Amino acid sequence: MRLKKILTHFFILMALTTNISFITSPNGWELVITIIMNLFATILKMGEGRILSNELMASSLVADLHLIPAGFIYYLGNEGEAVGLAMGALAANIISIILGIIETILATFTEEEE
Amino acid sequence: MARLRLKRKKLRRKKTLKDIYEERLFEILRQFQLPLLMLHTVMSVGTIGYMILSDGDFINSLYMTIITVGTIGYGEVVRGSDTLIGRIFTTFLALGGIGVFTTSVTILIRVFFAEDFVGVFRAWKMLNDIEKLRNHYILCGFNRTTLELIKLLKKRKINYVVIDSRKEIERQLKESRVEYYILEEPYKRMILEAAGIKRAKGLVVNLGDDARNIAVIVTARLLRPDKENFFIFSFASNPETAQKLEELGANRAIVPQKLLATRLAAYIFHTGSAYISDLFDKIAFGEESEIDILELQVAEDSPLIGKKLKEIDLRKQLGVTVIAIRKSDGSLNLTITGDTEIELGDTLILFGHPKRLRVAQKILTERARELVGGRDEA
Repeated sequence: MRLKKILTHFFILMALTTNISFITSPNGWELVITIIMNLFATILKMGEGRILSNELMASSLVADLHLIPAGFIYYLGNEGEAVGLAMGALAANIISIILGIIETILATFTEEEE
Repeated sequence: MARLRLKRKKLRRKKTLKDIYEERLFEILRQFQLPLLMLHTVMSVGTIGYMILSDGDFINSLYMTIITVGTIGYGEVVRGSDTLIGRIFTTFLALGGIGVFTTSVTILIRVFFAEDFVGVFRAWKMLNDIEKLRNHYILCGFNRTTLELIKLLKKRKINYVVIDSRKEIERQLKESRVEYYILEEPYKRMILEAAGIKRAKGLVVNLGDDARNIAVIVTARLLRPDKENFFIFSFASNPETAQKLEELGANRAIVPQKLLATRLAAYIFHTGSAYISDLFDKIAFGEESEIDILELQVAEDSPLIGKKLKEIDLRKQLGVTVIAIRKSDGSLNLTITGDTEIELGDTLILFGHPKRLRVAQKILTERARELVGGRDEA
């Protein structure tokens, strides 16, 4: 069992689910938790030189750059704009999940070959 | 499943020097993970804690966490932080957070400087730039001779890549404004490939040790076996070694002492005609940028064959002068006139401005028919 992999995927999924939750019913707490989870996922992906790690890292950074401004905008009173930014982050998070699945499959083949 | 595995095997390529530098960059980045995780955990706990106390005031909670953990302490700016529970929370956050903050920042700075993140990134970027070079020269070994050679190459706008295994010369390379360099062992196949040997025009081997020179020459010749299209020039400690190096793959091996002696002797022998001997010397050694000599072998199917020099009048048409003709048997005809006829196997020795010589070479090899035809019509 690889704890780091579990943690990374846990945070990616948590970021995705709380992101969806915020879009469907905008709530400040959910947005803050989404930001925190997403930042955890980004840090855990940092420096991972695996097959699709660069793409994973990039998609995570994109989500961060949408969510952090969304957090400030939401608390400054512009809820609509914050939801819009969170939708952008959701797209990046979905890509992140897809890349994560592809990477897991490719990594399995590599391990089998080795 | 099996097909996919096969495809992956095909996709897998040999590791390059750029890949190694990329891995080093990732390794350094990986070291940032722990301090950043520690810092992020503290910041998250602090922000959520103050948000609970203030009933969801995110911006002030984040601000309060930063001024507490960062030991700024402007006061209790968040609603609820001035209560008993708020102060207990701030106490524990400050106790744990300040330690984590200072430790994390220290580790981040140490990793950034100790692992030379900027240096590795710069080297990686340089390898990227080297990939774009074409028809350049690879100079193995950096010393005063290389530096003089670099000056002459720069004068002729010829690109070059220096390879040397000594990391301590980096400052010297930067001071000498050497644009592209690789600080690795030059005899390794991977390093020569990273220097763009497949696209290079030639290689100069000057490592100050015959054994190391041999290692580089052999590796380079294995990668570029064609002696006509890839030139290897090497330094040798004595004439015997020079001969061996040439047998092993060098186009020319030079014994520096012998070369110096020859040049000195030329000065001694031509003391009476110092200017002209010096001029020829400079042209021969590439120091004179206004005049150059070019050898141009007449192709088998060239329309120039059978023509008299006065018929093609290269001086008038292309601004270059034929000063001699080397015959197919190796003899040199120095007494040429306008009536001298160009024969099969001849090599024209052209004299003129480097720019005009380049144009002449292009026209005489690619469009000689136009030149002859144009003259005929005229």
